[in-house]
Amino acid sequence: MTPTGVIEGGWGFVVAAYVVSAVVLFGYAVSVHVRYRAERKRSQRP
Amino acid sequence: MSADRQGAVVPYALAALGLALLAWGSSWGLFAAPGETYMGDVQRIMYVHVPTAWNAMLALTFAFGCALVSLFKGGWRWDARLEAGMEVGVVLSTLLCMQGAIWAKPTWGVWWDWDPRLTTTAVLVFAFAGILVLRRFVDDPVKRAVWSAVATIIAYVDVPIVYFSVRWWNSLHQVQSSPETVSKAFHWPLRINAFGILFLMSGLIGLRTRLAVLRLESELAPPLPPPAAVAPASTRGDR
Repeated sequence: MTPTGVIEGGWGFVVAAYVVSAVVLFGYAVSVHVRYRAERKRSQRP
Repeated sequence: MSADRQGAVVPYALAALGLALLAWGSSWGLFAAPGETYMGDVQRIMYVHVPTAWNAMLALTFAFGCALVSLFKGGWRWDARLEAGMEVGVVLSTLLCMQGAIWAKPTWGVWWDWDPRLTTTAVLVFAFAGILVLRRFVDDPVKRAVWSAVATIIAYVDVPIVYFSVRWWNSLHQVQSSPETVSKAFHWPLRINAFGILFLMSGLIGLRTRLAVLRLESELAPPLPPPAAVAPASTRGDR
């Protein structure tokens, strides 16, 4: 097969990049929310 | 509703708007935008990779600005903002490296290469992550604020090096694109995702700043009087 210089397929890599991005961004957002709530509760304790 | 909770509405709203824009821009980039001539569908990674890069640099620039103000003007809130900006910047830079590795494999044939752009980015992640880790080991808030501001200013030197590395050295990584070098069909999903990550990042920095402020307040609060000192006061109140 003669190389054409064109990348065929690759959807697996595209899906992986978007899944990793969603997991990292959403996961970090949840972690900030959970830590903020916990700290607020702690600060309200007498 | 407490004042703190009321004020937190803005960061939550910004983060929600950012996530909605990201969902819109990503679905446009994945399903509606055309594939690139040579890279085909793999190029769709650009719609998350490039906005992550822009915003990672922006978050670290914000941390750098806070470090300057914290050092020369003082104020606990600037130290809290510095910590927030740096943490978000490290998360985005780490994500940037992961997305880059996934894009590199089908295009360069390797997950990682000690290329100038990649190496300087790795240095950036380790430098700022190191500052965040070391902050945990300093109990004195004054010393912590001063040395982290100085360390942030020193570490920030790497940010322009990362940006210009593709121009200064013979890098495997392509040079920065501009609206003139990118097809018009790719502009909108790229812009929408850039604003999506910008809003999400702003919301997260806002919320993370509040978290840092609450921690600082509990650290700086005067210690509670011992039980023996409290007892006479309560007896006085009973009389």
